[in-house]
Amino acid sequence: MAIQLLNGLVYGALLFTVASGLALMFGLRRIVNFAHGSLYMLGAYIGYSASAVFGFWGGLIAAGACLALVGLLLDSVVFRPLQRRDPLTTLLVTFGLALIAEDLVLTIWGKDTLSFAAPSELAANWSLFGASFPVYRLAMIGFGAVAALGLFLWLRLSRVGLFVRAASQDPVIAAVQGINTDRVSALVVAISASLAGVSGVVAAPLLSLAPNMAGDILVDSFIVVVVGGLGSIGGAFVTAIVLGQINVLGVVFMPELTSLLPFLLMIAVLVWKPAGLAGERV
Amino acid sequence: MSVLRLSGWAGLAAIGPLVAWLTPSLLTQSLVAQATFLAIFALGVGLLLRQNGMVSFGHAAFFGLPGYMLGALLPLKLMPVELLICTAVLLTAGAAFVIGLVIVRAHGIAFGMLTLAVGQAVYEAATRMRGLTGGNDGLSLRLPPHLFGLSMKTFQQPGGMLIVSWLVMVTVLALVSVLGASRLGVLTEAIRDNEERARFLGYRTLLPRATMFAISAAVTAVGGVLFSLYNAFISPDTVHWTASGSALIMAILGGSGAFWGPVAGAFVYFFVKDLLSGYTAHWLSIIGMALIVTTVAFPAGLAGVVPWMRKLIESRQGEDPVASA
Repeated sequence: MAIQLLNGLVYGALLFTVASGLALMFGLRRIVNFAHGSLYMLGAYIGYSASAVFGFWGGLIAAGACLALVGLLLDSVVFRPLQRRDPLTTLLVTFGLALIAEDLVLTIWGKDTLSFAAPSELAANWSLFGASFPVYRLAMIGFGAVAALGLFLWLRLSRVGLFVRAASQDPVIAAVQGINTDRVSALVVAISASLAGVSGVVAAPLLSLAPNMAGDILVDSFIVVVVGGLGSIGGAFVTAIVLGQINVLGVVFMPELTSLLPFLLMIAVLVWKPAGLAGERV
Repeated sequence: MSVLRLSGWAGLAAIGPLVAWLTPSLLTQSLVAQATFLAIFALGVGLLLRQNGMVSFGHAAFFGLPGYMLGALLPLKLMPVELLICTAVLLTAGAAFVIGLVIVRAHGIAFGMLTLAVGQAVYEAATRMRGLTGGNDGLSLRLPPHLFGLSMKTFQQPGGMLIVSWLVMVTVLALVSVLGASRLGVLTEAIRDNEERARFLGYRTLLPRATMFAISAAVTAVGGVLFSLYNAFISPDTVHWTASGSALIMAILGGSGAFWGPVAGAFVYFFVKDLLSGYTAHWLSIIGMALIVTTVAFPAGLAGVVPWMRKLIESRQGEDPVASA
């Protein structure tokens, strides 16, 4: 049982690191990045190729760095020019980008499932609660915890974090107060993209790589952000953890219904609180 | 004027049988028939976009649901098949209405995310509930030998189906154009443009939007019925979100400004895809770029070409001294 809870935490941590980027971007630009799953996928594939040369850790760093650049590009070429347009425009444009990214992955890496080995340092199994548990999964939980703590401290304590929170609350007033919202937004999009890319590499040894991985993670991340409250990191954190547990406990108790449980949770929360758990708070 | 309009509709209705008569190629007939299924599918998505200003990434669920209902209910022989088909469409619309009551409260982009989640829930159900849906293997439909007084073969031969689906498409198109001018149509457009003002004027805003969502699902379901009759088979691929995405792209390419936009978009999408399939494997990139260029530069889509040409002709006439005199 305790092992199942840990497994739930593994998936919850992964969901949080992907969905937090979506929430941050929504907070700042009031947009939804339909290509966020593609950033995760690109990170995983770039990490896969780079790890063949530089090893797992090199692949992780390469994916993070490349995706940060992709994020900067995305912000300056797509989000900033479209910021005065209807948010639906950005949604559809990023949908188009997601299709192009899928084609890119199909062209470079092919449509077959690729597997990605965990680093040898973390390949061991520990015995926990009377069962053996892969160390790598513990490391994934650790990664999620570090990302969550880092984001929290950054948003609460740093000056830029203050700007991010201010701009999320009201971009216009924040800009009037002298915050360069474009620069803050470029930074946030780069960090979000990089986090998504690194998450792709981190998840790869567990979930393997395939061109449809973008859509799968995107659906779950959307549920996390909508249920948590669009733009809320705290809401996304709570929802991601709960969703991770629901996924695993569902497999144990209601295997036929597992995949429906997240949607039922979503519907239930939206009936109760249409704006999501955290509502409008950041 | 109304005679002119009626004969226009009659002319449009005649195109389908004409194509079936003129092209002996079974392949072409089959392609046109399949394009009309997708056109009706996209018409539902476009209706939602035009009336509610909402994008749906989950309409494939409503396209596939009637097929699954037929597959599950046909062997039980509860009622005449014709009635069962109507029931399947109505049940789909009813399900959409209930879902709509919850999700249309979310605005704009959040709604799009929710439709994606609802659509994938149906996909997951289709793959997991093996006893009911056949899982990934899909489900064969046990169809009766006759339907609506026609031999079942009519529905499964390209030529016959082409005529049937074309006539259904023109009928749905006519109904959609009537709906746009109706009280509900005008009210939903008002809510789309400014919900707060509509509410201030004393209108309830949730119910009309949910109703429009249900109607758009019903339109899509009609396309789904034709699709499943033609193939006598339904599988989870039909309800996957990528199918919803394609229908949304058709509606956007066609433009939501005119009620016929999604139909034009569906035909262009389907035939360009078929043409290009022999030359390039990069269809995804091409359609992705087409979507980006359309949304950013030509939001009116194909439907915007007509007013643009009219304006062009009028301005030409304005410049011409003989015409203005």
